[in-house]
Amino acid sequence: MTEHTVDTVDGAPFGASRTLLARAAATDVRVQRALEIATADFFLPADARLDERMRSALGDLVRALVATIEAELREHGARLLATRGEARLAQALAQGESVLPRLRQSGLLRDSEMMAELLGRIGQELLAQSLPMHGSDSPDRPSLINRFVQHADRVVAASAMSVLIAESQRRDLSDAGLLARTDLPADLHHRLLWWVAAALRESLADYEALDALDRALCEAAQRSLAAYDEADRPEAAAMRLAMAVDAQPNELPALLIEALGDRRIGLFVALIAHALGLGYAAIREIVLARDPERMWVVLRALELERDSIAQLGYALCHADARRDLEAFVDQLEAIAAITPNEARAALAPLRLPADYRAALLVLERTGIHQ
Amino acid sequence: MNVIDPGFPLVIGRVDAHGRLVEAEARLNELNMRAGGAIGGPLAVPQVAMLARLALRLGIAISRNVIAADGDEDVELWVRAEPEDGGVRLEVSGWSQRPAWRPTASDSDRDTDFFRSAADWLWESDAALRITFLSIEAGMRYGFESSAMLGQPLTRLFALAEDENGALPILGAVAAQARFDGQKAVLRGTGRTVRLSATPRTDASGRFAGFTGAAEMIDMPLAEPQVDAPVPQAPFGGFPDSFSERLDKALRVPLGKIIANADSISAQTEGPLKADYAEYASDIASAGRHLLGLIDDLVDLQAIERPDFAVAREIVDLADVSRRAAGLLSVRAAQAEVRIDRPFNDESTLVQGEFRRALQVLVNLIGNAVRYSPRGAQVWIRLEREAGMGCVIVADQGKGIALEDQERIFEKFGRVDATEPGGSGLGLYLARRLARAMGGDITVDSAPGMGARFIFMLPLKDSSRITSEM
Repeated sequence: MTEHTVDTVDGAPFGASRTLLARAAATDVRVQRALEIATADFFLPADARLDERMRSALGDLVRALVATIEAELREHGARLLATRGEARLAQALAQGESVLPRLRQSGLLRDSEMMAELLGRIGQELLAQSLPMHGSDSPDRPSLINRFVQHADRVVAASAMSVLIAESQRRDLSDAGLLARTDLPADLHHRLLWWVAAALRESLADYEALDALDRALCEAAQRSLAAYDEADRPEAAAMRLAMAVDAQPNELPALLIEALGDRRIGLFVALIAHALGLGYAAIREIVLARDPERMWVVLRALELERDSIAQLGYALCHADARRDLEAFVDQLEAIAAITPNEARAALAPLRLPADYRAALLVLERTGIHQ
Repeated sequence: MNVIDPGFPLVIGRVDAHGRLVEAEARLNELNMRAGGAIGGPLAVPQVAMLARLALRLGIAISRNVIAADGDEDVELWVRAEPEDGGVRLEVSGWSQRPAWRPTASDSDRDTDFFRSAADWLWESDAALRITFLSIEAGMRYGFESSAMLGQPLTRLFALAEDENGALPILGAVAAQARFDGQKAVLRGTGRTVRLSATPRTDASGRFAGFTGAAEMIDMPLAEPQVDAPVPQAPFGGFPDSFSERLDKALRVPLGKIIANADSISAQTEGPLKADYAEYASDIASAGRHLLGLIDDLVDLQAIERPDFAVAREIVDLADVSRRAAGLLSVRAAQAEVRIDRPFNDESTLVQGEFRRALQVLVNLIGNAVRYSPRGAQVWIRLEREAGMGCVIVADQGKGIALEDQERIFEKFGRVDATEPGGSGLGLYLARRLARAMGGDITVDSAPGMGARFIFMLPLKDSSRITSEM
């Protein structure tokens, strides 16, 4: 083995040796960081951790969302740069490495609203996959959503069709792993778009003509923002359908049972949200929550009777192993005994402005009177 | 695949408010008796008893797919439990035998994954065969309007074609709630032909709840590719080009983990372990390695069968490659108590070919020789030159190959004895394809009981001008 000596210029190391020494010096920091992560990881409550299905689906979704936006910005940005005589920059923008690792590492993606939306979206998909299917009693009777598509009321028919289209589109992943669109609420779409644009900018910071790059990226981003319509999201389409159907209290139980039996969680959530006059995301959170108590209160607020609650509760507990079916059965009489007025009063805080509620929650969690 | 026979009669039973089986038709009674119960006693099939109890407490009819032990076998049941007159009425159908273990992913999830890897696009229908999901992007690509077809009967999108018996496979599948494939159809309005396949979705009472299906375009002319879209390659074996890449990602990494973990369990690195378990772990690792080898072969197969497959042109020393291949196999040979007699270090035969591919061929040939050699035997590796070719001869003392089998072993999946363990049946096929792509060949010379001699030849370095810069 040859002996390695540290090359020096005037006593100072250079080149590879310097990098090595710098890395060695930084080892302490990395060791400390690794220890912190390991410690945090160990003390995470096991039952609060993401399960593997959720974790991998979340990873796929984040990857697809970033890749979709990134591809759009790179393509259009590069075209703008090329027409403005920045051929080298255009090529660099068109071909760079994915910015996802940088975004992950920067902490930008640790945005609670973004994560709530993504987890909700995935949770909804996974719930649909685990729900027991419900076949038709008659082979000629189409499923609920398809009966809406055939509905004589054109508003109902058109809204049902747009739900089917939006849901089909969400599942379309191109060969390159890109989505048709992000399907995020507009403010989150904006946020993610600017994060990606900024990360792209940073990745090319070694080039000259950064002004031109900034301009091209911003124009590409603004073009993408202008073309984005959050009304195309399946969630928005489902809300429009629920509004068009405008289920009356006597129709609602059967519709909810059938929507769940057809694994149309979007429609199930929207029907409830419309009936209670609440937002889609708030109801989705309740439907997906590990602790189902609020869900039972919601069903009572909708004046559902014991048997309907038993059917929905059985399906929801059956589909999510974290929920205790036995506990639900034990509670069933108590749930049925809640009056609709009591239930509605219990849900009243959900009607308060979201930002106000979020602030209240933070104060509660950090409160001095614990 | 488990097909529920809807023709199987429904079996009725009744449980009272205390969970006692008060009446049961023959099949259910027998199942209950084999589980140690009797009429008038508690229902002894735990899964069914639990369902009855739940239905009673919830006060609603519930249905569930249940797997119950029936003697040594498992039987799959569709149970519907409905509260009635203070007790519970049971309706049990299905009664299909099933293997004692299967992966936990549901059939339809797995089928969807499988379809996705091979199909051009996917669709889903409800029980009335109306479309509930359709790839929007596929519509744009193949010229039909997906959005107008959602909610419509499947037959609005597909003009179904009869098979050679004058039947429609899809209708048979609906009746039998079975999977179908090979349903040909024309995409209405486009004149293009597709092959449809689908798997039924079944609800908790065993009723048909729709299809999860795939469509494969079978007419070749595609819409003119968009200006900057890559021109699709000819697919291999019906799989899209990205298949091997996905195969690689989807299987190689998890298998690698399985193998590594099984190896460390088997080596008891984390502490002592019961000997049986350590052995199981070593079985898991070895099965994993076998699968990994199969994946490598499939990935190679796809590469080789592409029209643009090419090998590099380099100067390769066959003697050196043989020595390296023998070295790579020395551990396996030692385990099998087989000695490899490799070329001497001063031997050299310069030929044209690609180093990596030549090594792959020789590892395959020598690996086979080791595998088929009895304990204590020897494998010889010799070098020769003949008619402008440099040859490596790999000879073993195995049981030999009958004349009529000597071509078959080079065929795809062509194994002489399908019961033999190991190997994908692709190794020699790949080896010969590679040899020929490098301008050489592989031949065999053997007789039963006399061992086998495989000759791998590549053009000698000087036999023609080469383009390489070496």
